[in-house]
Amino acid sequence: MAETELRPTAERDTALDRLVVEVATGDRIAFDALYRGTSARLFGICLRVLSDRTEAEDVLQDAFVTIWHRAAQFDPERAGALAWLSTIARNKAIDRLRARPPMARAPLAVIEEMADPGTTPERDAESATNRSRLERCLEQLDDRRRSLIRTAFFDGATYDELAARIGAPLGSVKSWIRRGLMQLRACLET
Amino acid sequence: MNTPDPTSDDEFGSEPPGPDLEAAEYALGVQDAAQRRRSQTRIETDPAFAARVAAWEGRLAGLFDGIAPVAPPQHVWPGIRRRLGWPAVEGARGNLWQSVGFWRAAAAAAIVAATALAVLNTVREAPPAVTPAAVARAVTTLSFDDGTPAYLATLDTASGAILLVPVPSAPDAEGRVPELWLIPAGESPRSLGVVTTDKAHTIAVPAELRRAMTAGSTLAISLEPVGGAPQGVPTGPIVAKGNIAST
Repeated sequence: MAETELRPTAERDTALDRLVVEVATGDRIAFDALYRGTSARLFGICLRVLSDRTEAEDVLQDAFVTIWHRAAQFDPERAGALAWLSTIARNKAIDRLRARPPMARAPLAVIEEMADPGTTPERDAESATNRSRLERCLEQLDDRRRSLIRTAFFDGATYDELAARIGAPLGSVKSWIRRGLMQLRACLET
Repeated sequence: MNTPDPTSDDEFGSEPPGPDLEAAEYALGVQDAAQRRRSQTRIETDPAFAARVAAWEGRLAGLFDGIAPVAPPQHVWPGIRRRLGWPAVEGARGNLWQSVGFWRAAAAAAIVAATALAVLNTVREAPPAVTPAAVARAVTTLSFDDGTPAYLATLDTASGAILLVPVPSAPDAEGRVPELWLIPAGESPRSLGVVTTDKAHTIAVPAELRRAMTAGSTLAISLEPVGGAPQGVPTGPIVAKGNIAST
C-alpha cells in the first residue's frame, strides 16, 4: 500500500473552507478552483474504494455535482472542508460498490499493519492533533480490531465480506468491529 | 478503555445496533446495501441520527491521510459541467466565466494592486503607466483546453503594457513554470517572459512587438523549465491561449 509520504488530507485548511462557502453562493469560479485543488484527493479515494478507473471517474463526477448542490450544508464549525469533501466522495464510492452484484469483488487481504504516515512540522497543528489522537486511539485497539476497521474504511468492505476474507463467523467480525468502534469513541472523547 | 462488556463476542455481534453504533457502522461503511439504504433514509429524516453520523465521519476522517491522491483525467471536469447543465466548454457569452464586465472588475482590482506596488517600488525606473482608464481596453481570456479560463490579459496599447491576472491554480507537478508568448498573426511566438499561476503581472511589451498587440494576435502560455525557454522558442506544451479581441 502506498500510504506513506503523503501530505495530509483532513487538515483544517481555512482557505478551502472559504472556497466551499463561496461555492455555496453559486460561485462557479470558486467551484472550478475547488475542483482543481481537491479532485486528485477525491479521485484517489474513489479509486481506492472501487479499484476501477471508469467507475471511479463516474463517481468523482457524481461527487462534485453533489458538492455543488450541497455546499450550503457545509458547516466549517463542524468539519474541515477537505474532510467534508472526502466523506462525500467516499460515501458515493461505497454506494456504487453496494450497487454491484454481490461477490463481484475479488477477495482482498485484510490490512495487516498500520502504515505510519509519519509526522512533518508543516502539518496544520489542529489537524496533526486530531490525526495523532486517532492514531493513538487506533494503536490501543488489539491488532484484529484495528486491521478490520482500517480494511473496512479503505476498501468499503461489508461485515459479510470481511468475515469471508478472514474466515471468521459473521457474528464475531461484527462484534470485533463494534467493540473496536466503541473503544475508539471512548478513547477519542477522553 | 473502561467500559468492559461481559457478553461474549458473538452475543454483541448479534444484537441490533443502537443509534450510535448504527451511525458508526454507516460512517465506517460496513453495512450491506439494504442496511445502508435504511441508514441513509434515517439520515434524511432524523436530525439527531444525522448528527451522530457526522460526528463519526469526523472521527474517522483522519484515515483519509492514508490514501494517495491521483489526478483525474481531463475529461472529468467537462463531464461535471455537463451534469450540472452548464456548457462543457464555455461558450462565447452568457455567463460569469466569460462576462467581460466581471473580468474587467477583477482586472481593475488587480491593477489597483499592481499600481500600488509600482509606486512603492521606487527602484524601478518608469513603471508601465497602467491607469484605470486602461481597464476599458480589450480583455483577452487565455483558456485551458477544456475552455476554463487560466489567465486574463488586459492590454494597454498606449503604454505597451499587458496586465496578466491568473485564475489561481496549482503549480505544475513537474516543476515547470508558465511562460507568456505573444504570437502575431502568421508569425512565430515571441516570449514576454516567465509568469506565475498565483499573482498578477504587469508586463512591458518590447517596443518592436507593440504592433502585435492587436486583434488577430494570440497570447499563449507554455510550460517551460525554470528560467524560461532557453532558446526563446516554446519547448513545453501550450497549456492556455486566447486570441486578442478588438475592444
